Amino acid sequence: MGKNELLKTFQEVIQKPRNAYLDDWIKSGNKVMGYYCSYIPEELFTAAGFLPYRIRGAGSRDSSEGDAYMSARLCTFVRQTMSLALRGEMNFLDGVVLAQNCDHIRRAGDLFEKKVKLPFYSFISIPRAPKERLFDWYLAELKRLKGEIEGHFGLAITDQKLNESIALHNSTRERIRKLYELRKKDAPPITGEEALTVTTAAHLMPRQEFNALMDELLGHLRDAKGTGDYRARVIITGGELDNPEFLAGIEQQGALSVAEVVCFGQRSFGDPIPDAAGDPLERIARHRFFQVPCARMVECFDDQVATLKNTVREFKADGIIFQRMKFCDPWAGDAHNLHWRMREEGIPFLALDREYQVPASGQVKTRVQAFLEKIGK
Amino acid sequence: MAILGRERQVDWEVVYEGANGLLDLYEKDPESKGMNAIIKGFRQFTDNLFAAIDEGRPVVWHNCGCSPELIRGLEDVQPMPIEVLTVLQDLLGDVKHTTDLIDGAEAHGVAPEVCSIDKAAIGAVLKDLYPQPACMLYHNTPCDSQIAAIKAMTELTGKPMRLMDIPYLSGDREVKYLAKQLREAIPFLEEHTGKRFDWEKFREVCEESNRTGEYLRDWNELRRHKPCPQVSKMVALNTALLVAFSGDPEGTAIAKGFRDEAKERIERGESSVEGGELYRAVWYQDPVWWDLQFYDWMESELKLVIPMDLFGYYASEAFIDTSTPESMLEGLARKDLRVLPMSRQFKGPIDSFIDDYLRLCKDYQADFGIFAGHVACKHGLGGIGLFREASREAGIPLLYFEFDMFDPRVTPVETIQDHITHFVEDVVRPRKEAA
Repeated sequence: MGKNELLKTFQEVIQKPRNAYLDDWIKSGNKVMGYYCSYIPEELFTAAGFLPYRIRGAGSRDSSEGDAYMSARLCTFVRQTMSLALRGEMNFLDGVVLAQNCDHIRRAGDLFEKKVKLPFYSFISIPRAPKERLFDWYLAELKRLKGEIEGHFGLAITDQKLNESIALHNSTRERIRKLYELRKKDAPPITGEEALTVTTAAHLMPRQEFNALMDELLGHLRDAKGTGDYRARVIITGGELDNPEFLAGIEQQGALSVAEVVCFGQRSFGDPIPDAAGDPLERIARHRFFQVPCARMVECFDDQVATLKNTVREFKADGIIFQRMKFCDPWAGDAHNLHWRMREEGIPFLALDREYQVPASGQVKTRVQAFLEKIGK
Repeated sequence: MAILGRERQVDWEVVYEGANGLLDLYEKDPESKGMNAIIKGFRQFTDNLFAAIDEGRPVVWHNCGCSPELIRGLEDVQPMPIEVLTVLQDLLGDVKHTTDLIDGAEAHGVAPEVCSIDKAAIGAVLKDLYPQPACMLYHNTPCDSQIAAIKAMTELTGKPMRLMDIPYLSGDREVKYLAKQLREAIPFLEEHTGKRFDWEKFREVCEESNRTGEYLRDWNELRRHKPCPQVSKMVALNTALLVAFSGDPEGTAIAKGFRDEAKERIERGESSVEGGELYRAVWYQDPVWWDLQFYDWMESELKLVIPMDLFGYYASEAFIDTSTPESMLEGLARKDLRVLPMSRQFKGPIDSFIDDYLRLCKDYQADFGIFAGHVACKHGLGGIGLFREASREAGIPLLYFEFDMFDPRVTPVETIQDHITHFVEDVVRPRKEAA
């Protein structure tokens, strides 16, 4: 396939809750496990023989079913995903694993358990600070989850399977790393909209097939001429973002996204899990627990700032565009703190609120234009 | 006006004047024993806080999900809940000062949908209204808005902060997990306050906390009486008591005031509603703290009383076994997880939130429930559908509306009054008459 065809394939994967690769997987008698958050390691599901499927709301017409159970003060991401689930459009999942990522997703957990009623439901308690003193709890929660999956589905998640899963997911990470490396070029061969499409698709299809498609895509991108037609290079950060159209609206103003430090983007992958001896589940847990922290985490803001500063430097970015879902409190706190930190650091920073599945509106476009003018681009 | 002989910033002086003004009016009123006790307590808290500043004693900030007993185990250290000024301002002072702090935080970049109490606390820090902390000890409950606030507080002050991770459930495993964290927090507190943690003092603090708890347990029982012996506006003050005064003799004095007043009024056969109560409701989620007279209005106009609410409910798991250091830490952890209002109901599955409500409706013989949805409490608002279904199944009529418990600009009192009046007239009264 050519580059455009490959990108079209990835686009098709992310349009609706189901995609052709997922359908084939299910038709072959395989199972699918849903989850919401980067702190729930997909390696565990792969080792159990499941396809890890990161829940999102694409394909939801509106949030009406979710609205029946949740106030409009909850974010549209959660209400739209719940609408899909309550309509039965996620019944292809053999189970879900949730965590108290935030107040909104905690309540989504209640609905999954009591209303959606998939065959398997589990909930893990993830500590709110990525500190060594709390790591044992997180590991114990993952061990509990592993035991619940094994017990419910009558299977064994062996160390060998976990190691194989680590290898598979590391190979995806390696491909994502290569993709991001190419974006450091002065004329990146892929836009932010396209890159986010690709990284989002990774969460929704079998990894072997994703990796194969990525190899083809990287082959095309490696020597591609790239696009130098932009006014500024920006890093996108903030809360989860699985809506490439939103990025398209930003990029149309001339702000090329060269890295997305968001869930579904770079934050979902991180560095490879080190190849080492010892308990593979513990290696997975360490990788996830001490990954680039999200706003739900406390006592680690300096790490978040350091990551952003490094990313700005490595990707030669002119500024940061921060986005978060309206009503998201953890990211609301970080928006405030990042604004002032970035001002201290002299890094231009624009914070945008958004609703799920709403492409960049006129207001957003105007703000991006003003931001570019302000930084002299 | 001066507090303790020194000029303080206007915001604090308004609070202090408010407390003194109310005490001037009601101190000698035998009918106001409970309210007087807590107003005196609030004034004492202010005195203690300023005394600590003047004497150069360390102040440790904590949040409303964190009961202060552990901090009180340190010699000469003053705990300060970050929500204190907002609560005192709304209850005793002038809500205009709260809304100014909220606006100040928003102007500084805090999103409007963050809880008003957290925005006001950030506003207070920006306005330099709080004494600088030696360090901060926070729990990640009751909500994510507190996460936003504590991260902002850490950024704004640059002071050391320690988070106690509050897990999803509240079983014995979780109690041990939190107790371990509390033990590990002691060296952190000692290091940054320069004060020694005294286990014997901690034991006394826990015993004091238990004494307070005994009165609160009795008080919860007495408010079940029909007719309800005490006014509605008192009930939610329990949360302020627990957050600010747990482990402090002042807390026991307040709880005793609550209990004694209820007991005496029952003995005298008095009702909180002049002319007799017609309706009883359990008020769930958050109280209207910017206008306590609103509760007087409910009683006088609708003959409606709130015998219990989410903030007033004192779960019986609170008693701390003081026999060993470990038992004390576990007892405190149990209290944090299973007792502190909001933390108890909101941090885990929705069942604990709903089950408490249904039990309160039964125990307090409520004719209906009022789900007063504080706009920032997404954990509660996110469960409204299941809450409604459970109410329907239990046959308990439920009024639901959204408002802001610290900011009257979101939903004016007249609108809330309309909601309640219509519900009582259109749903509750016909139902009672039919029965």
